[in-house]
Amino acid sequence: MSDLYTFLEAEGVDKALLAGVKTFREKYPTEAENAPRVPDPEYYYYGKKTWELALAAILAGKNLLLAGPKATGKNVLCENLGALFGRPVWNVSFHINTDAAYLVGTDTYDGHKVSFRPGPIWLCAAKGGFGVLDEINMAKNEALAVLHAALDFRRSLDVPGYEKIDLRPETRFIATMNYGYAGTRDLNEALTSRFAVLDMPVITEDNLQKLIARRYPGISPKIRDQLVRLYGELERKAESAEISDAALDLRGLLDAIALMEQGLRSGDALDMCIVNKSFDAYERGLIRDVIAARVPADLTRADVFPT
Amino acid sequence: MIKKQYTGAARRARNIIWNAAGRYDFDPPFMAFFANGHPDQYFNMVAGLVDKWLDMPKLWDFFLSYEGDRRADEFDDYLWLGLENCVYEKELPERPILAQLRRERGELFFIEQQQMSRQQMEYQSMPVFTQQEYRWATACGRRPPLLTPREKRIAQALRFSGELDTDGVLQAMRTFLLDFFRFTPGPDTVKRHRATPLAKLLFKHEHKRRDRLLVRAGTGEGDHEKARQQRHAGLGRHVGPGPEDAAYVEAVFGRASLTEHELRILENELCVGDDGLCRLWVTKGEAVQTRDKDALEVRESAARQEKRNEAFCAGHAAMIEGSVRALATRIETVFSSYLRHLPEPARAGRIRPEAAWRLPVLNDALVFLKNGEETDPEICVDLLLDASQSRMHSQEVLSAEGYIIARSLQKLHIPVRVCAFRSIRSYTVLEILKDWRQPDCRGLRRYFAGGWNRDGLAIETLGRLDDDEAIRGKTRLMLVLTDGSPNDSTPLPTNGLLLEREYEGEAAVRSAQEAVRRLRAQGLRIGAVFHGNTSHLENVHRIYGHAYIRIQKANQLAQGVSDLLLMLLREIRQD
Repeated sequence: MSDLYTFLEAEGVDKALLAGVKTFREKYPTEAENAPRVPDPEYYYYGKKTWELALAAILAGKNLLLAGPKATGKNVLCENLGALFGRPVWNVSFHINTDAAYLVGTDTYDGHKVSFRPGPIWLCAAKGGFGVLDEINMAKNEALAVLHAALDFRRSLDVPGYEKIDLRPETRFIATMNYGYAGTRDLNEALTSRFAVLDMPVITEDNLQKLIARRYPGISPKIRDQLVRLYGELERKAESAEISDAALDLRGLLDAIALMEQGLRSGDALDMCIVNKSFDAYERGLIRDVIAARVPADLTRADVFPT
Repeated sequence: MIKKQYTGAARRARNIIWNAAGRYDFDPPFMAFFANGHPDQYFNMVAGLVDKWLDMPKLWDFFLSYEGDRRADEFDDYLWLGLENCVYEKELPERPILAQLRRERGELFFIEQQQMSRQQMEYQSMPVFTQQEYRWATACGRRPPLLTPREKRIAQALRFSGELDTDGVLQAMRTFLLDFFRFTPGPDTVKRHRATPLAKLLFKHEHKRRDRLLVRAGTGEGDHEKARQQRHAGLGRHVGPGPEDAAYVEAVFGRASLTEHELRILENELCVGDDGLCRLWVTKGEAVQTRDKDALEVRESAARQEKRNEAFCAGHAAMIEGSVRALATRIETVFSSYLRHLPEPARAGRIRPEAAWRLPVLNDALVFLKNGEETDPEICVDLLLDASQSRMHSQEVLSAEGYIIARSLQKLHIPVRVCAFRSIRSYTVLEILKDWRQPDCRGLRRYFAGGWNRDGLAIETLGRLDDDEAIRGKTRLMLVLTDGSPNDSTPLPTNGLLLEREYEGEAAVRSAQEAVRRLRAQGLRIGAVFHGNTSHLENVHRIYGHAYIRIQKANQLAQGVSDLLLMLLREIRQD
């Protein structure tokens, strides 16, 4: 926690909110059995305002819905929040066939009797964790009705045929959604009203510079600058619907730098981590044109990491 | 080098330009291509950078000021060399790779030069060629050609400084043309060698109120003898539809199947933005009494077409039934891999109370239900047929194609609705030929072509007609039978501009593309069956992305439609 906490102090996040985090942690210390589930984030989320909004919502006991396009750091923020508050995280990836049994639990036979096998939401409620409901709008609304009581003031989970349990006070749910993805649907009002909705902004050039500099301190500032601009150009191209979102991949950009650090030439690394994410030959051509106008294809590790 | 042209590679060239310009909301007036048709990466970047650093419309006005002069191409080539130097110097600090790209462009120039045919060399203006050779040789470190003193002065003058602003560049361009060609651009100085297309430009705006369904055939823009395409020909600004237009639409296509209130709600929601001047009409073809001669004429013609469609179906009954069987079989195969799983007994899952006794008595743990192998189709299909004038030469075939698709889906108990769409007198009319619950597909024989096609609005309107009990809870797929050429006489709203922008070409494709994107974001799956000219293939690609198939004959329909369905279903499964 201390690293992340110091990072947030350095980012200038509101002191009162950070004090609130401290109090929360003192009140709800991490139990040893849950410690392995507390995330240890590889990346920190950059964005002072977003941090402040998220912290305020969590401290006020609200559930959060992070809505925004691809590569805005929704999952990074979820992980960071889990780590900052020292809570175990249950990550549930939603899909079209997600149903109540998958979320809450199901019956099974343990060799002697029929017993209840708890699902991630139930575990999260019982152990005071942070439940990350990833891509919540991929699921059918009716499958999510089971969460209503858990998400509103009742803070309880009623499993038909078994006990009703109350959520532990430190339990929070953080949902993510991307309204641009194919196959997503609008959340119904009943569900949306149970969340504080945080509209995730696209990472700014400054913050992307900081993110890369922190993760790869040895990278040449000039190359870093060109990679950041390249990302901005791909973003504009995707926004204009000239290419799909496939290549607009922040993880891909960071992975490409990692491959360059391993000794791969820049062209190959960017091909693997950005260009080839598109499965359309024509689109790949468009993406290559953007890259070719920013980053030479033959940069070696010595060029990218000069020291 | 820089030529005004639009080829298959145009989209790629435009993308390079937009990327360098940092914006995507303009249509580049210039694009650069190599002799083999491939886009010239470096020079397209230069064109984009000109937009980024300088005021492109002002420069464009300058280029237009000598359009029509027989030396226009030569001047273009010279001046672009000047602009290249200017924006190169401006951009280099922000984009260090530019130096490398310039070097590579130089090398490419010499490679291309070696591959030029004798005829190509003969077409080349030698003074321009010399300047290009000099520029690229110095850029890539080759030995430059020997220049005469005048050529040296030209080369020097074409090094427009990176410190110039737009006015400075314009001054440099004017000075260049005056000093070396004694030429000042202007209407009196242009030495024409070809007719200016001004007349075409002026007569582009049409008096929309004269739209009639069947009078526009044969205006001559089709690409083969029978193809007919409407043109926006006429004068005057757009006048919104009035009550007589509504009466005409009702008389021709039948009573609206939605109430006035429902139509108003739809219009408020959809007739905005690009479609701000349009109205909507949704009908099932219920005829009304009319005395309107125009409308009666159209109705008679439509009745004749219905008979022709019937005769075609009767004459090709064996082929059509064969196609239905083939398509149904293929769709069944496709659907078998994507269907909702029906429950089956398992050792974990939801308990079956009626079978619970088996646990203690028989020690049988199979008393639970889980998602099994068997499946239930949770799909319904909307089929949307383009019924604009451009389909006039293939009405019978299209009617039969629609029938084959609808009938095949129906055979598999997949709910299907078929609509035809066209626009006339500012109304986008959606004619429901077969509704979800209708047991047969005979309504498809009513299909006839006439009017314009405003694809985006029609697709979005159909997307909103989703309140039928028969399809509740099902995933909707929409298949659009299209020629990929949206075109309507109702223009795009002026948004404060003096001149109206027509709903055609780039603007129309963009509008349709947006509509499809919006519907996809709402979870609707849309794919297109493209049956049209190769020149419109790129439009289809832009509007529908990868989700389209191209057919050229009715017997390719089974393969094509099943491939398309497979594509859409895979999309669903991946989500």
